[in-house]
Amino acid sequence: MHQKKPFLWRLCCAGAILTSILSFSPLVLPPGVFTPKLGPVPYSLWMGILLTIFLVLLTYLGARVHPGHKEEGKI
Amino acid sequence: MSMFTWLIIIGLVYLIALGTLAYRARQQASDVEDFMLAGGNLGYIIGFMTVAATLFSAFTLQGMPDFFRTHGIGSWIFLAISDGAMVFMIVFFAYYLRKKVAEKGYKGMAGLLRDCYETKWAGYVYFLGVFLFLIPYVAVQIRGIGIFLEAVFPEALPFWAWGLFIIVLMLLYSETGGLKAIIHADVLQGILLMIVVWIMAITCLKAMGGVGEMFRQIEAKESALLSVPGPKGLFTVQFLVASFFGIVSIPITQPQVSSRLVIMKDLKATHRMAVAVGIFAILVILPTLPIGFYGAIKYGEMSPAEFINQVLLFDQAGWVAAAAVIGLFAASISTSDSQIFALGGEFRSLLGGSEKSALTRTKIALVVFALAAWGFSILANDQLVLLARVSFTGTALMTPMVLAAILTRKSPSSEIVLWAALSILCLVLSQLKILPNVVMGVRMDLFIFLSVGILTLFSLWRTR
Repeated sequence: MHQKKPFLWRLCCAGAILTSILSFSPLVLPPGVFTPKLGPVPYSLWMGILLTIFLVLLTYLGARVHPGHKEEGKI
Repeated sequence: MSMFTWLIIIGLVYLIALGTLAYRARQQASDVEDFMLAGGNLGYIIGFMTVAATLFSAFTLQGMPDFFRTHGIGSWIFLAISDGAMVFMIVFFAYYLRKKVAEKGYKGMAGLLRDCYETKWAGYVYFLGVFLFLIPYVAVQIRGIGIFLEAVFPEALPFWAWGLFIIVLMLLYSETGGLKAIIHADVLQGILLMIVVWIMAITCLKAMGGVGEMFRQIEAKESALLSVPGPKGLFTVQFLVASFFGIVSIPITQPQVSSRLVIMKDLKATHRMAVAVGIFAILVILPTLPIGFYGAIKYGEMSPAEFINQVLLFDQAGWVAAAAVIGLFAASISTSDSQIFALGGEFRSLLGGSEKSALTRTKIALVVFALAAWGFSILANDQLVLLARVSFTGTALMTPMVLAAILTRKSPSSEIVLWAALSILCLVLSQLKILPNVVMGVRMDLFIFLSVGILTLFSLWRTR
């Protein structure tokens, strides 16, 4: 498990970078378009909310698998 | 009871709490380190509240609703996505920062950079950068609340006198209790801000007939608010990307946040704090949307200040309006004092001599910084969020310089310091309209950020 940590941490880093890039792409921000809606919520808004929640979730997972997470008292 | 009666009751409770916290912090502070770095042993709950309160200020309650009202749903991408990435950056950066601090010690980022680059110019450039770009941000807070209080008490004081009152109060308790007093006040403010913003949002949603009805009315009135770039075309991809870099860089370059990463108890607490700040960000930004859309439906033609006064004050029940006044007051103070105090900490980290004389000079510097912010608040305009954004972008230019120092083992080349200084100069000149705002089709702030990043990478590669 200990050896897997750097790999999982790097995976979370890659996930955060890709999510950030995706957030500013036309896939999330099509100019002047607000469909398909999720209930009454316009497209870019619900996509933005989902991506923000995903980034916070990645932060949680990243913190769990961070190689320095258990170095309590040292850092 | 009228709003003013509520205001007196809630205001008195707040001021007594503030005074008590400052007094208790003073009693507990045994030395200079205690005063400047709050003992360096923050648990994750206090750590989360103080970072959240430092990040989410008066502009959250005033600026973000106005941003949603004027520019629409792109405001979420502008702030919330960037904040989501910023909390991830805290997890990434805090590890290396704390390792470097364990190796070299810490009084402030300016002093740490001076030690890493082995040139005092690194510390000076960093200090100049944070001074130039944090002072406008503090001014935004002071101006925002000053204008608001002028509307609450039209016969009492002009906004600049309210600003002076805030500065004096802030200095009184900061200089009394140091960072610990500020952190405790942050906890108070964070709770107050969250309660007030949600009560406001629910009131506005009820007035609009619910979430579905809100979006239906917005679509009928101004459908451009439901997509990017918004009715005024502000949220272009370049604007959002430049803002993203600015906000994600906050833990790296803004001393009021980086110093809190250092004084957390351990890395585990820092990580927990980052996750909690991310959740707080979502919960505090989300309610500003219905407040803003309520304004778009009812007060689309008003100026930002008129709209905020109307929606926060005159459309609310007396006790809610009173809580909003105190909530804004507290938010404005806690963000301003954190930044002014962080500037003081950076100033102190560059000073030599005895600890006692350094502390005295730092306390004098705090007064000078606070007065500078007050002066700028009188000259600033009403576009609170855009002014705050210049602050993020400006300090972000030092990201490559800070990262090069923290992430590398040996001393980086001092030419990186020169690139950072030149980038700050270019941004200031573009803000003064001496340099153009667009270069080869790219926004100047984004162009400078990318250029300084590439130059820094090149310097690191050349001297590896």
